[in-house]
This record gives sequence, C-alpha cells and structure tokens, in this order.
Amino acid sequence: MKAILKKLITMIITLFIVSFLVFLAFSVIPGDPALSKLGTQATPEALEALREEMGLNEPFFTRYFTWIGSFFTGDMGTSYSYGIPVSELIMDKLPITLVLTGIALVIMMVFTVLLGIYAARHEGGIIDRILMVVNQIIMAVPAFFAGIIICFVFGLILKWFTPGAFVSYEKDFGGFVAYLIAPAVAIALPKCAMASKLLRSSLIEQGNMDYIRTAYSRGNTTKGVLYRHALRNAMIPVVTFWAMAYTDMIAGSVVIEQVFGIPGIGRILLTGISNRDYPVVMAIICLLALFIIVANTLVDLIYKWIDPRMRDNG
Amino acid sequence: MKTKRRLILLVSVLMTLTIALSACSGDKEDSNASEITIGIPQDIEDTLDPHKILAAGTKEIFFNIYEGLVKPDSDGNLNPAVASDYKISADKKVYTFTLRDGVKFHDGSTVTVEDVKFSIDKCADTSNGEPLVAAFSNIENVAVVDEKTIEITLANPDSDFLSYMTTAIIPASNDKADSVAIGTGPYKYVSRSPQENIILARFDEYWGEKANIEKVTLQIIADSDMIVMNLRSGAIDMFCRVSAAQAAELSGTSYKVLEGTMNLVQAMYLNNAVAPFDDVRVRQALCYAVDRQEILDFMADGQGTIIGSSMYPAFGKYYMEELSTYYSKDIDKAKQLLADAGYADGFSFTLTVPSNYQQHIDTAQVIVEQLKDINVNAKIELVEWDTWLSEVYSGRNYEATVVGVDASQLTASALLKRFNSEAGNNFINFNSKAYDTAYANALAGITDEEQTSYYKECERILCEEAANVYIQDLACLVALSDRYAGYEFYPLYVQDFSKLYIVE
Repeated sequence: MKAILKKLITMIITLFIVSFLVFLAFSVIPGDPALSKLGTQATPEALEALREEMGLNEPFFTRYFTWIGSFFTGDMGTSYSYGIPVSELIMDKLPITLVLTGIALVIMMVFTVLLGIYAARHEGGIIDRILMVVNQIIMAVPAFFAGIIICFVFGLILKWFTPGAFVSYEKDFGGFVAYLIAPAVAIALPKCAMASKLLRSSLIEQGNMDYIRTAYSRGNTTKGVLYRHALRNAMIPVVTFWAMAYTDMIAGSVVIEQVFGIPGIGRILLTGISNRDYPVVMAIICLLALFIIVANTLVDLIYKWIDPRMRDNG
Repeated sequence: MKTKRRLILLVSVLMTLTIALSACSGDKEDSNASEITIGIPQDIEDTLDPHKILAAGTKEIFFNIYEGLVKPDSDGNLNPAVASDYKISADKKVYTFTLRDGVKFHDGSTVTVEDVKFSIDKCADTSNGEPLVAAFSNIENVAVVDEKTIEITLANPDSDFLSYMTTAIIPASNDKADSVAIGTGPYKYVSRSPQENIILARFDEYWGEKANIEKVTLQIIADSDMIVMNLRSGAIDMFCRVSAAQAAELSGTSYKVLEGTMNLVQAMYLNNAVAPFDDVRVRQALCYAVDRQEILDFMADGQGTIIGSSMYPAFGKYYMEELSTYYSKDIDKAKQLLADAGYADGFSFTLTVPSNYQQHIDTAQVIVEQLKDINVNAKIELVEWDTWLSEVYSGRNYEATVVGVDASQLTASALLKRFNSEAGNNFINFNSKAYDTAYANALAGITDEEQTSYYKECERILCEEAANVYIQDLACLVALSDRYAGYEFYPLYVQDFSKLYIVE
C-alpha cells in the first residue's frame, strides 16, 4: 500500500515538472500561435484581437495554472488548429499509434526470443557469427532510414504494400493493420537486434552459473535446463530492455509516422509543435510522460512474476 | 507449465493468423465512382467558414466549394457566378447584381438575395474591429431591390471592388458556418480527419458545368521526401508544386509534369529601415550584383520568370516587363555604388530564410555566392516558419530575407498596398513620399487607364528605388498521373478540381 502511494506521488511530481518545463519552453521559443494562424495576412489589429481571444495576453503563471487545473479535472482544452476538443483528437489518433507500436512490440518479442535462444545454443557457430554481424549493422540503422528502405524495396520494387496509402481503422480494420506491418517492422528491427544480442549474452552468462551445473548434475536435459532454469533468469534484463524499448518506440513513432504517412499521435504532436498548438502539445507530452511512468511500474510487476524472490520486498 | 506453454503458443498462432488474414482482406473495395487522390503538403485550417479562412493552402482548396457573385477563371477574368449579371455605375460607386436563376446551395436550398445580403453584411461587419474583408469598410449600404436584384453602394469610388465580390456566398440559415461547410461550388465538403485527409464529392445540382470526377480525396503528406514515393506507388495521383528535383525523379514514370507559374513575387526583401539598406545606393548595388538568370538556371533549369518589381506576368495589363531588365549584372557599377555610399570594402549582413521553403533557401544560397563578388558577406540563418512570421514579418526585426509574396485578389492593389509607408503589413519599412502619392492617385483614379498608369508608376518606383532585390515568379510544377488530364493553372493561388477528368 505504502509502495503504491509512493509511486503515485512520484508520478504526480514528475508530471508537474514535465508540464511546467514544456510550458516554459513554449513561452521562451519564438513564435506566436495567433500569428501562426493569421500568417502573412496578419494586421496588428487582427493579431491583438486573436491573442486576446486565445488568452495569450494573460501572465505566464496564470496561463500555466489555468491549464494544469483543467488538465487534472480531465479537460484538455481545445486545439487551436482544429477547433475540436484535444481529448477527442487524441482518442481519434491514439488507437493508430497503439496498434502500430503494439504490432512492433509483438514482432520484437517473438524475434528476440527466437534469435536470442538460437544464437546462445549455437554459440560461436557460423549462424551465431552472422547474426552478430547483421545485428551490429541493424543496430546502427535509425528507424526512419529503415523505413525509407522498406518503403523502397517492399513498396516500390516488390509492391507488397503501397507506401502512403494509409487506410483508416474505421473504414477497413484489416487494411489498416496490414498497412501498419511495414512501419512496425521498421521500428522493431533496431530494437530486435539489440534485445536478441542481450538475451544471447545473458543466456550464455547464466549457462556458466553454479545452479545450472547443479541442474545438469540432477540429470536434466540441455533443453530442460535452458528453458526451465536459464531462460527465466536470463529474461530479467531482456524484459527491462523491452519496456524501455517500447516507450522508445512510442516516442520513435513520431518519425516513422512521418515517413509512412500515418496520421497518428506523433504526426499530431509534430504539427502541433510547428503550429504552436499548445493545448495539443501539452496534452500529448503529459500523456507520454504518464505512459512511461506507468510502463516502468508494470516492469516492476513483471519482474516479480518472473523472479519470485523479488515478490516480498517491493 | 505445459498448459502455460500451450497458451502462449495458442496466443502467438492466433496473432499471426489475425495479421495474415487481415492482410488478405485489405483489398480495395470495388466501386465504379470516379475518384482522384491529391496530395497536399499541410492540413487545412480549423474553421470551414470561408470568410474566416486565412491560410493560402486552405483557400486554394475551398475555391472548389465556395463561390461569390463573380468568380475568376484561369485567364484572370471575373465571370458572373452566383450573379448572372452586374452593372457598375459611371462614378464606380453603385454596383448592381442580378441573381442567377436556380443556383442551389449544397444543402439543396436555393440561393436568395437575403443570403447574398447576409454574406456581404457579415464580411462588412465592424463590430469586432476590422471587417472580415478589409475592402468592405468602403461599403455604405447593401440594399435588396427586389427578389433578384441587390445593390451595393460605396462611400468612395473603387474600381477594384468587383474583384472583392468573389467573397463566398453562404446561406443565412447556416449558424454553424465554422464547422458545417455549405457553398454553391462544383464540389461539396464531405468530411475530414486531422492530419489524414479531406474528402470532397461532386455537387450534382451545380448551376454551371458540373465537375467530371465524383470524389476527390486530399491526402496530407507532411514529409516532402515522401511525395515522389507516394506518387510512384500510386497512393496519390496528383501533387501541386513539386520541386524541380522531384520532377526529375518522376521522369520515365507514368506521371506528367505540367509547368505553370506560382504567382508569387520572390525577392530578397530588404529592411529599408536598417543600415546599410536605408541607403538607396546600397540596395541598387545589390540589384546590380545579383544575376537572376543564374538563379533560375541553378534552381529549375531556367524555368520561372524574371521580375523587376512587385508584380508578376499573370496580372496582364499591370505587369511591366521592361522592369525585369532594369538592373542587369554589372559588378563595376555595383562596386562604384557601394563606394559612393561609403562601403568600398563591403559589409556583412544576415539573410533570414524560412526553413520550410526549399525554393527560397536555394535562391538565398545563390545570392550569397554572387554577393561575394562585391565583397558583401551574407550569412544565411534558417528559421522555422513560425519564427519567421513573428520575428521578420510581424516584428520587422531582420536585415534581409528571401521569401515569396502572393496576391489575395486579382487586383494590383493586392500586391502594391503593403508598400505604403503607413501600411500595417509593410514589413520592409519602405518609405517613399512619391510612392504614397502615386498609390493614392491610383485608388482615386476614375478611368481604368488612369489607374493602371498610376499603378505602373508605383511599380517603377519600387524598381528604381530598389526597394527589394526582385528575383522571379517561380515555376510551378504539377505532377499528374497520366490517367488524368484537364489541369488548369490560374493567375491566383487556387486549385480547380472541377476541370480534371479521367483519360479513357
């Protein structure tokens, strides 16, 4: 109970700090949402009227506390550039980003386990070496570059999918999921490479431990030892990495959404920043921060499930 | 342990199957409706109210949805639209419009004189300060004569007034104009999804020649690197304003690249209020040092039109071609002018360029190289568009910038008004008594010849005073799939989708 309370307080403080910093950053950088709306047709009178209407003439702290007050009561305000409630906008776009990163997560987990175990079991073998080299290369490739290559090879040459032909999930869910596979692969690839390398070395390390020798001496088979004993322990650093990688993927989807023309949260965030659409940017960043905090808490819980020794003292 | 493993296996098999199966079902739905998907670089604005729209990118699309009493065509003429006829009194103070019979709004109702009066009154309303259409502050009275006729009386004669009657006519009954788009144009608004697309459908009860294609999807492509990829993959059929490099990448594909002009005055705009640009000799020296042809060659293989003042060729009678050769490259003369102004050893300045416009960045880079010949060192500073608007355009806190300025109406004043010393949007701080007088005379002019000659005088002053280093009206390249044809260039910043058709 105490632990949960502690977590909750940390979460609120973190949110406060994040939101304050973002708000501060926006009032420091040049650019004015009212002017951004009016563009080159702006006249001083029209600008002043719009600033007043948007509440931009209020002092910094007044604006901040008004915003944070309504945020905690669930009102995220109205988007400057779309004129619809921010919550509606986010609810509309969130499923896209969640499905995208969800697919990427599944791809990453499946391939990490398969490749990691294979490489560890055949340590030093030719496949293991090739995997290591390929891993090095993939690790060095940023997701957006992988995205462009995937678009070019699988989209334009092999024609497995049509780059840019995103289908909305409301219209055709199957087509929507199908379109997201290629970008999900692009996000998952670098993470997959890192995670499988981690699992491999972690497994090899476990293999040299005393308890494994004991397990063998009890007459267990190689397979049994590997899956029932070594894997369980070897998974702990990998799960931590997965959690970090997933939050990273959410953040990284900003770039990949741009490359594949996916109108998700990242796209909204990016255009929000360039249009100085504060309500949208603030809400998304705070939600991302919240998400990362929650994800970290979940990892703690998963540890306890994998390793019973961690269960009591949390 | 066994059951758990089985469960994991089951889940992963199910997941793979779902993904695989949904990939198969993702085939396009079959429909016989003719449609086209057009890529646009940014989302449209929040409001759908045609009188409140400000962004050029939104206006050019809404040209298909809304119409005024008159409507521009691709030759720059104003043709009757919602009105079938108009009369202008000899003193240019009374404009009488006759409504066209049976013009329908997208909601099926018929356009009445009340709707016209409502729309004009709404844009002339000064209760919130400035009227929505600045030129409407001149309106003295809008009178409904009979159920087909409306008469607009102006306080002062204005021969440009007709071009403002392109202002959209919307139904008086629509009290949610911000979110419900009802116009009279060849296309009606169907839906939008932020950062994804905007969908338009043909309006079958349109009064004029109906559009050819039934459904237009405007797909937002925020990343300019993906334009060519999306064209080649077939995700979009058309993209307006591709760069010369992108056009080159499309050669040999099933896309044709059409060439027109952008209708922008691209120039190195100089802040006339800061040293050394407050000295006319320095400004002239820069004009003599810049080789415009070289810029055109570098940027787009020579495509584009060199200009010499704030006017571009699409304006027809107002455009003065002779000004484009007023300054030809002459390094000696430039050096002499600089020496006279006391800058024999040259000087340095910062050239602020908005980072989202590659064509302006390219031009700036060539200018920087060319100015080195006269010992002038320019340093390019790239800024975000938003920063540009607040620092350069609104704050006038800059030395020089390269950008393009467009005209919102087909009138010379749309381009020339801003150089009045008192104009609120005179971002270059141009200050010339002669100019102010000539511009005032143009506005007060009764005959068309008189006005045109004063506007031309304005242009000549801008050129001779070297208000800015005028460069070009950029080439506008439109990529269109060869399954479609009928694209027309306008002398205004608009896109007309109604003329597009599918090639059989």
